[in-house]
Amino acid sequence: MSYHFAIIGTQDNPLFEYEFGTSKQGGDGQARFSEQAHHLNQFVLHSSLDIVEEVQWTNGQLYLKVIDKFFTNYISCFITAGNVKFLLLHQPTATATAPGGGGSSTTTRSSTSVGANPTSPQTEEAIKNFFAEVYDNYVKAVMSPFYRVNMEIRSPVFRQRVAAAGRKYL
Amino acid sequence: MAHLGPGKAASSKEQAGLRYPSNGKTIYHRPLNRTKTAELSQSSFAYLFSEMVTYAQRRVTGIQELEKRLNLQGHPIGLKLLDLLLTREPPRSQTRPLTIIALLHFIKINLWTHLFGRQADRLEKSSDPDAPDEYMIVDNEPLVNAYISVPREMSQLNCAAFVAGIIEGVCDGAMFPARVTAHSVGGKEEGEMWPGKTVFLVKFQPEVLEREALIGKG
Amino acid sequence: MFVTVFALIIINKAGGLIYNRTFHEGGLHKISTNDYLVLAGTFHGVHAITARLNPLKPAATLNRTSTSSSTTTTAATGAGGGAPFARPDPPSGLEVLETENFRMQCFTTLTGIKFLLFTDTTQANVDLTTRRVYDLYTDYVMKNPFYQLEMPVRCDMFDRKLGSYIREINNR
Repeated sequence: MSYHFAIIGTQDNPLFEYEFGTSKQGGDGQARFSEQAHHLNQFVLHSSLDIVEEVQWTNGQLYLKVIDKFFTNYISCFITAGNVKFLLLHQPTATATAPGGGGSSTTTRSSTSVGANPTSPQTEEAIKNFFAEVYDNYVKAVMSPFYRVNMEIRSPVFRQRVAAAGRKYL
Repeated sequence: MAHLGPGKAASSKEQAGLRYPSNGKTIYHRPLNRTKTAELSQSSFAYLFSEMVTYAQRRVTGIQELEKRLNLQGHPIGLKLLDLLLTREPPRSQTRPLTIIALLHFIKINLWTHLFGRQADRLEKSSDPDAPDEYMIVDNEPLVNAYISVPREMSQLNCAAFVAGIIEGVCDGAMFPARVTAHSVGGKEEGEMWPGKTVFLVKFQPEVLEREALIGKG
Repeated sequence: MFVTVFALIIINKAGGLIYNRTFHEGGLHKISTNDYLVLAGTFHGVHAITARLNPLKPAATLNRTSTSSSTTTTAATGAGGGAPFARPDPPSGLEVLETENFRMQCFTTLTGIKFLLFTDTTQANVDLTTRRVYDLYTDYVMKNPFYQLEMPVRCDMFDRKLGSYIREINNR
């Protein structure tokens, strides 16, 4: 399972990006995206913003669950009160399109891991917890007197916190 | 979408030019809810606000510009409080305001209680049929004006323009772009009962009403 | 009605009149604005002289028991306050002026602003009243962004709060 997490500002501008892999089921926490996928992922995430804009007015929840799918890439969304979007692209390793990824060896065990089935309630819950923790830290970033809305988040502490949340829940 | 930062893999690498507090505690180490019920001195706020008004007053050409500057000082506070106050809600009622009424209730109750320790006094919709986009939040005694006497030659001014800016920040942040202005109405309607009575006039942009109509249908 | 506050005058530290208000008609004769300015200036001068006539309270009256040599210095430094190491109070100068028909209480702030309260001769607790007037001044004048230091006080809010406070006393 590989993840690409991005925070998108109100002007559809990226504020923060982070790639990681699962730490559950013996995962090493490294993303296994192919070289081209790095760019493709950004594209896929960005294109899902249109759907977010439709869904966000029919559902007042912060966590909008899986809102888009592009081949084997699933996109979960969390939208803050200030209309900043957290997007998480997750790609089950079992059917990884990445040629160089260590997918084949993990096929059997990923069937039981979080995220093997991207739309299962367990996965939804895990991602929800991940988003909730990132949201807490995002609000702290916002409360900094040196931060203004739509500024890129450069804090290394914030990055560490996101990484920790990823390790904890995903 | 552009790449952010040079190293995607080397994530936690320290960035140059960043300074840490000597105890190593950053804003990320502080709990979000600790100051939820904290109080602070009204005097210290009064002196601070007095300096803010004096600062905004420097080299302004008119009262409108002065109110505009006060409004701008409040705007970022509104944007930030929107996120903070929603995270402090219990998880069950943690929903984004989707309608104008929900948003105004959030302002009247949550925002006011957080800032001033009580709810706003009244919420009204403009009775003018030509202005369906106008709503009014009424505060009988704005806390920011508690010690302020506006000189006669500036009688148009209401320093609660700062609070109007905060409201505007909340509305803009929640994707309900609006213009918010503060107007003194004390002494006109209800006599001398509330001499500092202030109406915050919230005028939403046309697209907000359009969307509201669409959501109502669907 | 015997207990009445007649008027209030505020004098800035340069001796200029910055506030003057009459609460009770008939207590004092009306004098012209110019005379008020002269009154303020004159009182300021007299006050300055009285403050210099004997600036420090004699140590002996406060600390009669301090006979041993070690405490003599202590007594001298602690002359003004009750505590032995406290700084002495600044000389207060003229505090009360009394005539057959009125009594004038002067209260000087640490920044040199003088509040002159003219009351009935039988008025009780004038100290408390001047203190409260000072509170109102710090709240509604000093916290007002449109007030410039040392300038005449023109604050609606101060007028209103002061008016209702004094009315309360005069109607008691």
